[in-house]
Amino acid sequence: MQSLRLISIIVTMALAFAGCGGGSGEGGGTSPPGPPPPPVSKAEAFRFLNQASFGATEAEADVVITMGIEGWIDEQMSKPPSLQLPHMQSLGPPPIGPFEYQKDRVDIWIRNALHGEDQLRQRVAFALSEIFVVSQLGALVGQPWGLADYYDTLVENAFGNYRDLMEDVTLHPSMGVYLSMLGNEKPNPALNIRPDENFARELMQLFSIGLVELHPDGSVKLDSNHQPIPTYDQAIIEGFAHVYTGWSYVGFADLRNAFPTYLNQVEPMQLYPDYHDTGPKQLLDGVVLAAGQPGEQDLADALDNIFNHPNVGPFVAIRLIQRLTTSNPSPGYVQRVANVFDDNGAGERGDLGAVVKAILMDPEARPAIPMEIDGKVKEPLLRLTQLWRAFDAQSDSGRYSFEFAYVVLGQGPLQSPSVFNFFSPFYAPPGEIRDSSLVAPELQIATEYQNTFVTNWMFYQTFFFNWLADRNLAMINDETILINFEEEAAIADDAVALVDRIADKLLAGQISDTLRNETIGMVDLIPADQALARAAEAIYLVVTSPEYAHQR
Amino acid sequence: MSKLNRREFLKQSGIASAVLAATPGVAYSQVVGGGGPFNDYKALVCVFLFGGNDSFNLIVPRSNAEYTVYAQARQNLAVLQNDLLPIVPAVPDVVEYGLHPSAGGLQTLFQSGAAAFVSNVGPLIEPTTKEQFFNRSVALPPQLFSHNDQQDQWQSLKGKAQSNTGWAGRMADLIRTNVAGQQMATNASLFGNNLLQSADETIAYVMGPGGPLQFEGFPTDPNDPFYEQRLAFQRILDADHASIYARGFADIQRRAIESADTVSAAIASVGNLQTVFPQSQLGQQLETVAKLIAARDQLSMQRQIFFVAAGGFDSHDNQNEDQPGLLGGISEGIRAFYDATVELQVSDRVTTFTQSDFGRTLTSNGDGTDHAWGGNQLVVGDSVFGQRMYGSYPLLAIDGPEDVGGGRMIPSTSADQFAATLAKWFGIEDADLNIVAPNIDNFVQRDLGFML
Repeated sequence: MQSLRLISIIVTMALAFAGCGGGSGEGGGTSPPGPPPPPVSKAEAFRFLNQASFGATEAEADVVITMGIEGWIDEQMSKPPSLQLPHMQSLGPPPIGPFEYQKDRVDIWIRNALHGEDQLRQRVAFALSEIFVVSQLGALVGQPWGLADYYDTLVENAFGNYRDLMEDVTLHPSMGVYLSMLGNEKPNPALNIRPDENFARELMQLFSIGLVELHPDGSVKLDSNHQPIPTYDQAIIEGFAHVYTGWSYVGFADLRNAFPTYLNQVEPMQLYPDYHDTGPKQLLDGVVLAAGQPGEQDLADALDNIFNHPNVGPFVAIRLIQRLTTSNPSPGYVQRVANVFDDNGAGERGDLGAVVKAILMDPEARPAIPMEIDGKVKEPLLRLTQLWRAFDAQSDSGRYSFEFAYVVLGQGPLQSPSVFNFFSPFYAPPGEIRDSSLVAPELQIATEYQNTFVTNWMFYQTFFFNWLADRNLAMINDETILINFEEEAAIADDAVALVDRIADKLLAGQISDTLRNETIGMVDLIPADQALARAAEAIYLVVTSPEYAHQR
Repeated sequence: MSKLNRREFLKQSGIASAVLAATPGVAYSQVVGGGGPFNDYKALVCVFLFGGNDSFNLIVPRSNAEYTVYAQARQNLAVLQNDLLPIVPAVPDVVEYGLHPSAGGLQTLFQSGAAAFVSNVGPLIEPTTKEQFFNRSVALPPQLFSHNDQQDQWQSLKGKAQSNTGWAGRMADLIRTNVAGQQMATNASLFGNNLLQSADETIAYVMGPGGPLQFEGFPTDPNDPFYEQRLAFQRILDADHASIYARGFADIQRRAIESADTVSAAIASVGNLQTVFPQSQLGQQLETVAKLIAARDQLSMQRQIFFVAAGGFDSHDNQNEDQPGLLGGISEGIRAFYDATVELQVSDRVTTFTQSDFGRTLTSNGDGTDHAWGGNQLVVGDSVFGQRMYGSYPLLAIDGPEDVGGGRMIPSTSADQFAATLAKWFGIEDADLNIVAPNIDNFVQRDLGFML
């Protein structure tokens, strides 16, 4: 039976892959009194919520319609963060292999994504986790508490300052392990040993400034020969590599004796001065750190040096815009957001709350006249969470068991195959998107294979899981995530009413004639007394459709 | 599907899948058959080693003088001289070499004549000396030492130019009229999208490590009650979508539906091979490639390029602990795959080669290595002029003649030369080689001579 084969593929593939709090967390402030916000339609509220949450629901759309978009954003920014580590620690110290707790980490991620009151914060944190990438696939499989705490770091800094976020990430032992800054030592020339360059390189290339100089609107600066201008060279990487020496897990007498524990994997790394290089260090823009500075001072100066590079604004703007609203922002959109990064209006550089608000409130995120390049491809995980939220997904046990998300969907929370994330910001699929010099990052993982996997998962989610009385046959247990469509089943004898109800719930009623008519036609082929099958069929065809895969 | 209850639905859908899987050669869209000018079958298999393989620990000088230089450079990362597995070329060199002790499979392949090594190869725009590198008097590939950029260089060979196509993709475009009868794309990946196979005209087909997945509940038999579901799904894909992203998504779904049943049936019809593959991601991918090659006639294939990969080579940490598993994995996987091509009697029709982001620094960062440039690659198959080393193996000295710092070797042979040699064997005309390898005209030797 093919579906059994599929489950066995999931398990086989999953087995084959064998990879601190802080921050202000303060709210985004209130807006000055002014004219009342413009009325928001249900369709506009849905578009907004698919940008700003883990999936639009009719209930949340009503809140947006009542509060207005800016009001909703402000309210969200004042909500306390939903965290992962408290849940992980509530499970107690590990009686079983630490890797077993990755399942619990994904469980609490899903709970917060589906039910967290702080939807905007959770969504931004997920976007940040696709920039500041660490992953359970690799050495960190044994540090689920560290990963939970790392994610909390992103959650807590989601509306804080980028400089604080850079520092918290840099000193987090999960990042220390993932990009091998942890345990990195000063040079030993006699043994041809020099500092590890991994974190030095990727912090600049992937988390802050990128490879080439940018204009404030995100376009690439060219030199007099029309060539891009590199932001750094090997000497600068080596300079930063020397900065990041001497750090490891907290609480040991000697760096070389440090090892991870249940407790220290969630504490910022500690400096072990004996292992910190004390020579001068070449940084960006001709800055050289003086010899003999303490390691903490070197680190602070180095992060300031990167943070103040003019690329950071447009670099962060492009990536967060791509994660939240559209794959192909205009230069003007990038520049407007980068300007807010550079100065939030109160003289502060790097205010992420202000940046997020600027991204979501920009006219380009809320276009009056639709264009065919508006929006983006919905990430597969978000296609699923939207379905789960719309149909109040639960398991019998209350837990959400979906730790193999990366196998089924090609992505999952902190489950990237490498520090380069699930997909590249520059990916352009063959065909009209590439021919138009546009990008569609999410389509890099939408391969024929992965798309089929996702489509089949939707088949299980709609048909098998909900429809089969025999749980063994349906391969579900008390942790399987089940969507609830009793309400739809109750009206399923009327195919038109059924499909329109589902279109309301998932698409704010904006369903194409083709999808609507085809779905009604298929429902009508199923006997009227098979209400669950009819509802499942309708949901299946909608959530696997190209229009549902498009985030408007 | 009027009288179906849920249990019957499931049963029927299951039966439909089983029947489908046992039905070979379901034809799809405008298959013309007969083939083009090619009168033979050839396949290239790219084994991409993601992360940057430390290949100066895979192939290591054994002669005392050169080993001493190597050991001085590598210090705590050096493989012990006595542990090296000797390789003896058909034409002895003054320097003797050996393989990492985990690479017994490659030693066997080399000694039998089925494998060759290409030394210190990497992306170059033109021949480059250390002096030229430092005074910037030659064009260099952009963003040296960066993972994704150097993966792109190996796969696209495009230098500073915009790289939307890869050299395997361009080969597929060049021969597309010759292979019009093929039922599957020339380029197939078992490890996701990649630039190597990207093209302007042809589109690579991406399957999983075990082959394609089939869509649940999409029977191909028009008498099956759920046949309508497949048709409705396809009509929804084929509608006019207002969004460019919806259209891009629909294109992929359409290709998935077109190929999944045909290719799955072809793989299923082959049955199990005698050759035992390692239980690894790479082993599984290579076993599937072997089955696809076994099914080549059924799919009317004449030219194929497969992309498989292994990860974990970015050994910044714990290199000494991880390297035996990494290099042993390549060795065992490629050895098994070669054995399978012998079993299928196509060992002279199939050529396997490796690529990787870059070589790694000879110097250590304590317990690992960092990103470098040139490295050693493998070529395997019975059309390989094997038991030989090609290119020029460098002196592994820190600050030596080819080191640009920390033990980063300037390649002495270019990735363009490597690709052009394979392309020529594959059937690309000499006049078209610079489409495949755009910098090839900058190098005197267009053919490295490792293919018979």
